[in-house]
Amino acid sequence: MRLTALLAAALFWLAPVPALAEGEAAAIVAANRDQIEKPSRQSIGQVVTALAASGDPMADDILAAWAEKRLVVRKADQALFLATPEGDGFALTALDGTPAGTAAKAELTALKPNAGVRSVISSALVQFTLSDPDPAKRRAALDSIARDTSPETLAPLRASIPTEDDPGLRAQKERLERILALRFDPDSAARVAAIRALGTDTALDTRAALNPLVATTRIAALKAPGGNVARVLVPGRDLTEAEAYDLLVAANLAPARLTAEDQRAALVANIVEGKVGGVPVADLNTEAARDRAYTALEASGAVPVAATDDEAAKVLAAHRFYDVFTEPDPAVTTAATDALAKIDRKVAAMQAVDLGLDALSLAAIYFLAAIGLAITFGVMGVINMAHGEFITIGAYTGYVVQLFVPDYTLSLLVALPLAFAVTFAAGVAMERLVISHLYRRPLETLLATFGISIALQQILKNVFGTQARPLTAPAWLDGALTFNDVVSISYIRIAIFLLALLFLLFFLWLMKRTRLGLEARAVTQNPAMAASMGINPDRIAMLTFGLGSGIAGIAGVAIGLYAKVTSEMGADYIVQSFMTVVVGGVGNVWGTLAGATMIGSLQKLIEFLNPSNTLAAQTYMILFIILFIQFRPRGIIALRGRAAGD
Amino acid sequence: MKLTRRALLATGIASFAMPRIAIAEGETIKIGVLHSLSGTMAISETTLKDTMLMLIEAQNAKGGLLGKQLEAVVVDPASDWPLFAEKARELLTVSKVDVMFGCWTSVSRKSVLPVIEELNGLLFYPVQYEGEESSKNVFYTGAAPNQQAIPAVDYYLNELEVKKFALLGTDYVYPRTTNNILEAYLISKGIPKEDIFVNYTPFGHSDWSKIVGDVVALGADGKKVGVISTINGDANIGFYKELAAAGVTADTVPVVAFSVGEEELSGLDTTNLAGHLAAWNYFMSADTPENAAFIAAWKAFIKDDKRVTNDPMEAHYIGFNMWVNAVTAAGTTEVDAVSAAMIGQEFPNLTGGMSKMLPNHHLTKPVLIGEIRADGQFDIISQTEPVPGDAWTDYLPESAVLEADWAELKCGMYNTETKTCVQLTSNY
Amino acid sequence: MTRSFLARTPSVLIFLAALAVFTLAITLLSEGFGAGLISTSFVKTLGKTLCLCLVALAMDLVWGYAGILSLGHMAFFALGGYMIGMWLMYARTEEIVVTALAQGGLPATPEEVQQGIATQIFGVVGSSELPAIWTFAHSLPLQLTLALSVPGLLALVFGWLAFRARVTGVYLSILTQAMTLALALYLFQNDSGLRGNNGLSGLQNLPGLTDTSQDLVSVWFFWASALALGLGYLALAWVVSGKFGSVIRAIRDDEARVRFLGYPVEAYKLFVFTLTALVATLAGVLYYPQAGIINPAELAPIASIYLAVWVAIGGRGRLYGAVIGAGFVSLLSSLFTSGRLPDIPLGPVSIAWVDWWLVILGFSFVAVTLLAPKGIGGLFDRFLHIGTPDRKGAPLGPDDGSLQEQEAQE
Repeated sequence: MRLTALLAAALFWLAPVPALAEGEAAAIVAANRDQIEKPSRQSIGQVVTALAASGDPMADDILAAWAEKRLVVRKADQALFLATPEGDGFALTALDGTPAGTAAKAELTALKPNAGVRSVISSALVQFTLSDPDPAKRRAALDSIARDTSPETLAPLRASIPTEDDPGLRAQKERLERILALRFDPDSAARVAAIRALGTDTALDTRAALNPLVATTRIAALKAPGGNVARVLVPGRDLTEAEAYDLLVAANLAPARLTAEDQRAALVANIVEGKVGGVPVADLNTEAARDRAYTALEASGAVPVAATDDEAAKVLAAHRFYDVFTEPDPAVTTAATDALAKIDRKVAAMQAVDLGLDALSLAAIYFLAAIGLAITFGVMGVINMAHGEFITIGAYTGYVVQLFVPDYTLSLLVALPLAFAVTFAAGVAMERLVISHLYRRPLETLLATFGISIALQQILKNVFGTQARPLTAPAWLDGALTFNDVVSISYIRIAIFLLALLFLLFFLWLMKRTRLGLEARAVTQNPAMAASMGINPDRIAMLTFGLGSGIAGIAGVAIGLYAKVTSEMGADYIVQSFMTVVVGGVGNVWGTLAGATMIGSLQKLIEFLNPSNTLAAQTYMILFIILFIQFRPRGIIALRGRAAGD
Repeated sequence: MKLTRRALLATGIASFAMPRIAIAEGETIKIGVLHSLSGTMAISETTLKDTMLMLIEAQNAKGGLLGKQLEAVVVDPASDWPLFAEKARELLTVSKVDVMFGCWTSVSRKSVLPVIEELNGLLFYPVQYEGEESSKNVFYTGAAPNQQAIPAVDYYLNELEVKKFALLGTDYVYPRTTNNILEAYLISKGIPKEDIFVNYTPFGHSDWSKIVGDVVALGADGKKVGVISTINGDANIGFYKELAAAGVTADTVPVVAFSVGEEELSGLDTTNLAGHLAAWNYFMSADTPENAAFIAAWKAFIKDDKRVTNDPMEAHYIGFNMWVNAVTAAGTTEVDAVSAAMIGQEFPNLTGGMSKMLPNHHLTKPVLIGEIRADGQFDIISQTEPVPGDAWTDYLPESAVLEADWAELKCGMYNTETKTCVQLTSNY
Repeated sequence: MTRSFLARTPSVLIFLAALAVFTLAITLLSEGFGAGLISTSFVKTLGKTLCLCLVALAMDLVWGYAGILSLGHMAFFALGGYMIGMWLMYARTEEIVVTALAQGGLPATPEEVQQGIATQIFGVVGSSELPAIWTFAHSLPLQLTLALSVPGLLALVFGWLAFRARVTGVYLSILTQAMTLALALYLFQNDSGLRGNNGLSGLQNLPGLTDTSQDLVSVWFFWASALALGLGYLALAWVVSGKFGSVIRAIRDDEARVRFLGYPVEAYKLFVFTLTALVATLAGVLYYPQAGIINPAELAPIASIYLAVWVAIGGRGRLYGAVIGAGFVSLLSSLFTSGRLPDIPLGPVSIAWVDWWLVILGFSFVAVTLLAPKGIGGLFDRFLHIGTPDRKGAPLGPDDGSLQEQEAQE
C-alpha cells in the first residue's frame, strides 16, 4: 500500500505525461533496461507506474506480456520484443508495436519477473482493466485488488460500480468496496456502516479485513497510555512475570537480568591471581560460589549491578501493562470486535463441520483400503499380508493405462475394471498356489503371504523403478466442492467416498442376494456341512479371495489418484487396514465400516487437538486401538461362525 | 551343526577375505558409491549412484586419473541406517576405496561419520542438509541452510511481502533444525512468534486435507501467508495434489519447497501448481552450455530421454570434479593430502559462475529460486551471487559462536568466544 | 526321566562346543588378536549376527514352543539398544564437554556440564534441554537396570493385558505389531526426547576408550555376544526341557485343553512372553554398540516379521534351528547387499543381485512354509532319522512345524 503511494509520487518526476505518447513506452523500457531484466518488487514500482501512466497504447501490452513471461531478449542483438507462440517458435513484435518476424525458442531468453513483481504489474494494470469490456479482465482486476488491498484502489473501484452491468461482478465489486471501505474510508461512520453491512460473513477476506482492525500491541508504561486501550494486563494472570519483565527491558524501563553466560564472562574477566572476588577459581564449580564471587565483584564496583529478584518485583509493581489497539478509532474497533465475535462463533461451527468432512473422507479411504481385507480376513479367516501390494498393483495398473490412453477420463474408465481384473487374477493365483495349502495354519499363512509381499514389492520396484509415478485424475475431479471459505472438500475425496459407498452396497448385495454370497456365508459358518450340501468350498474360497484382491486393486487406483504411486504405497496402508478390520470386528462389513469411521474420526480429532504434530496423532491412535482391543477383543461388531472360532 | 558353522565360516572368509588379496594387486583407483539402491530412500539415491557411474565412466574415457583407471565399488546400504556404517567400514577396510560418494539422509551421514573419522576415510555428501556439522573427513557439496533456506525466506519477505509463515515439514532432523533456524531468523526480522505456524508430519504422509485447510485459515487475520515446506520425498505428491484441489494458488498462498526438485515433480501433474516455488542451487532449466552438455550426457548415459537432472546430481558433479583436480594437484589419493588440496579448489557451476571449496568443507554456491512450470520444470526467477556455505548457523545462539576451519584452525567445531576447539570429531 | 539335563539334551553340548570353536577361530583370524585374515567389519557383522541369533532364540521360545506369534519382539531388542545407547552417548559427551569447559577459564558447574551435554546431544535436533527420560543416563549401573526393567515391564504389562483379555492367534500377532508400530512412531517424534528419526549415533565409541582401536573393541563385543548367546541357549534349553517346557508346548497345541487340566495358561504365557522380551533386550544391549547407531526404524513392524522369517527358515520348535536361521539369513543378506557379487548377464539385461535378493528371500520363504515347514532344522531330522510317521487322519498336534514325534516320546 505504502508502495503504491510512493509510486504515485515518483510518477511525476519520472514520466511527465506527453499528449501523444507513441514510442514513449519503448523509451521508458530502454531507459530502465537493467531493472526490467532483473526486477525486484521493492524497486520496480517506479518503472511499472511510469509505463502504466505513459499513455502509450503499447504500454499495457508490454506490461501484460512482461507479467506473462512473454517479454523476450533476442540473444543475437540483445533487443527486446513481445513474443507470441507460433508453431515451434515465436512471432516477435517490437516494443513500438511493429511486427518483427519470428524466432526459434533457442534464440530467445524470456524475462522472468517473480511473483512479487508480477503482482505490482497487475496492480498497475488495474486502472486499464477495471472497466475493461472483457468481463474476465474485470474479474482479474478485482482479484488483483482483493489480493493487494490499498487505499488508492478504493476511489477507482467506487467509480466503476455504477457502470458495471454484469450482476455477478457488480455484487463482487460492491462487496470488495465494503471491505476496502471498512479499512480505508476516512469517515468513521462509513467504516462502521461497512462493518455492519458485511454482517456475519465468514469469508476469509472479510476476516482478513476485520482482524487487522482489532490487532493490538503490548506495551509497558508508568501511567495509562493515551491510545485506544483494548485491555489492562495483570502480570501473573494475563502474562507471566518473566514476559512482563522482558517487556520492561525491551522498553528500556528496567535493566536486563544477568544470564549465566554473562556472569561467567564477567568472572573470567576478573580473575586476579587465581581468585575472583576472593573466591579461588578452583572453587567456582557451583552456581552458589559464582553468585558469591559476583556479588563480591559488584561490591567492589568491578562489574555492573545486576537486577535481583526483589528489585525486579519492585519494578514490575511500579508499571502497568496494556494491550493497545493499533486502530485509533474506538467506534471502529468496537464494531469490528462485535462482528468478529459473531463471525468466530460461526466459523467454529463451520470448522467442526469441515473436520467432520475430513474425518469422513479419511474413513472412506481406510474403508476402501480395508474392505478387500475384510473379505479375505473376515469371511475366510485368511491373513493376507500381501494385500497392500495388491493395492499397489492396482495403482500401477492405472499408471500403465494412462501411458497408453492419454485421455484421463477414458483411462480411468479402463483402469478401474482392468485393475480389478489384474488383481483378481493375482489373488486367485496366490490362493491356488499358496494359501489353499495353508488353510489349517493361519499363522503360517500370515508369514507366507508376507514373503509374497516383500517379493512383490521388490519386483514392482525393479519393474517400475523407485520413482513415484504420476497417476492423474481427470479434470472434472480437479478442485474442491467449496461451501464457504471454511468448509470445502476436494472432488477426488468425494469420488473416493462414493466409491467406498458403492463397494459397501456391492458387498451387501453380493453377500445377501447372490448365489455366491449364500455359498460363501455357508462355507464361513460350517465348511464341512456346506461341502456336503454340494458347495465346492475350494471354488468359493478361490472366488472370494479373488474378489477381495480385486477390490484392493480398485482401491489402489483411487488412492493413487489422491496420493502417490510408489512401490511402497500399499505397505503404508496394510497395518492401518488390519487395525480397521480388527477394531471393527472380523467377518462383518458393517464392522469394517464402523472400524474405519472410528479410526478416521478419532485420528482427525487428535490432529485437531494437536495441530502441529500429525505423527503424534497416529501414535495415540494406535495406542487407543491396542487398549480398545483389550476390552473388546472381537471388535466393535463381533461375529459368530468360523472366524469367531479361533 | 558344526558342519554348517564351518561352511558358514568358509563362505565368510571366502567372500570377505578374498577381495582383499585381489585389491593388493589392483592398478585402479577405487571409488566407493554408498547410496541406497533398495528401501525407502532408493527413490532418490539410485539416481545419484547412476550419476557417479556416469562421471567415473567419463573420467576413464578421458584417460583416468594419475595414469590409472577409476573403478566404482557400488554397495547397497538398503536405506538401513546401521547398514550405512557397516558398508562404509567394508568399503574402507575391505575394498580399500580411496574416496566415497554417498548418503542422502542426515541420519545415514551421522551413521557413517564415526566410521570414516576412525578410519580416516573421505566422503562427499551431495544433499542439502541442516548444517551444524563439519567433519574433517567429509566434504559437503550440498547446500547449508544459509545457501537455501535463508535466501528463500528473504525472497518471501522482500519480494512477496509475506507476513505470516507456515513451516511444514516431515518429522526428522533436517526440517526440525531448518525450521528452528528459520524461526530464529524470522523473529530477528520482526515476525512475531505467533505468526509462525509449525507442523510436522510422518514420512510418506498422504492425508493432507486438514493441514492445507489450517494453512488457508491462517490468512484470516489479513496477513499474507507463505508456506515453507521441508516435506520430504513422496509425501509431497499428496501435499501438492491437495493444494491443487483446494485451489491454493501461488498468488494466494505461495509454497516454497526445499526438498522438491525435478525428480519429485516427475511423479505428478504440475499444471495446477504453476507458480509455486522451490529453492535450490541448481535447476535443470538453467541456460548454460555446461548444463546443456551435462543433461545431454546424462540422457545418453541413462538411455532415457525423459530423465531429469537435479540439484544433488550437480553436487556430485562438482564434488567429483573437484576431487579429481585435488588428486591431480596432490599427486596421490592419500586422504590427508587430498583433503588439504581440496580446500580452495574451484570448479564451474552448471548454473554459471565458479563454486569454491571453503576451509569449513562447504562450497560457495549461488542460490536459485524457481517457479514451477506446467511441464514439471522450473523458471529461474532469482539467482544470487555465490553464497559461502556456513557450517554453523549464525541465527541460533548456541552455534553462532562456533566456526569450522580445517585450513588454519584445524577444527570443525571451534568456539570463537572461548577460543577453544570443542571437539575434533563430529559424531553426533 | 532321571537323566541329567545335559544328558537329555545332547544338542546343548554340541551347540556350546561349536560356538566355542567358532569364537576361538574368529578370534585367531581377526585383525585385533590374530592373523588379520578377517576384517574388522566382518567381525562386527559376525558379532551382530550372534546377537540376532540370541533374539531369534527368544522368538523361537515364544513362537515355536509357546505358539505365540509375536510380531513385536524387535521392539524389546531396540529398546535395549536405546537404553544402553543413552548411557554411551551421555558418558562420551560428558568427557568432551568437561574437557571443553575446563579450557574456558573457570571449572565447570554441574549445571553447565549438563547444559553442555544437552546442547551437544540435542543441538542437532534443535533443542538444548535434557529430557526427563535421560535422568539416569549418567550412570551405567542405573541405566543397565533400566535397560532390563523398562522392556521387561512393558512386556509384562502388555502381555498381562493381552492374555487376560484372551487375545490369541492372529489377533495377538496384529496387536503386537501395533505395539511396535506405536513405539516406533512415538520414538520418531522429536518430542519424545530420543532425537527422533536421527536416533542415537556414534555408539561404537566407548566412553573412556576413545583411543582404543575398533579392531579390539569389535572382538570384545564379539566375545560378549558369543557368551550371551551361549548362556542364553543354555538357559532357554533348560526352560524348555522340563515339565515347564511340556506345558508350554501343550498350550501351543491345545490351549483350551491345558486350561481345563487346571494349568494357569495365562501365567505361563505371560512368563514366556516376558522372559523372551528380556532375552531380546539383552541381545539389543549387545547389538547396538556394534551397529553404532539406533533409530526408530529399528522398531518398524517389518523387523519383527523378519525375525519370524529367520526362525521359520531355521526351523521352529528347536533352539538350534532359530540360531541357524538367523545366522544363515542375515549373513546371506549381508552378502547379497554387499554389491560385490557379479551381475548375472541374461541376454540384453543383466540381473543385479542387489535388485533381486529380496525377491529370492520372499519366495524362498514361501517355499519353506509350503514345502519344508521344519525349515533347515528339518535336515537334521533326516540326518538323525527322525521322521514324522505317515498317520492316517489328523496329525498329533495342529502345527506341522513342530517336532511332534520326538515330543510324543518324551
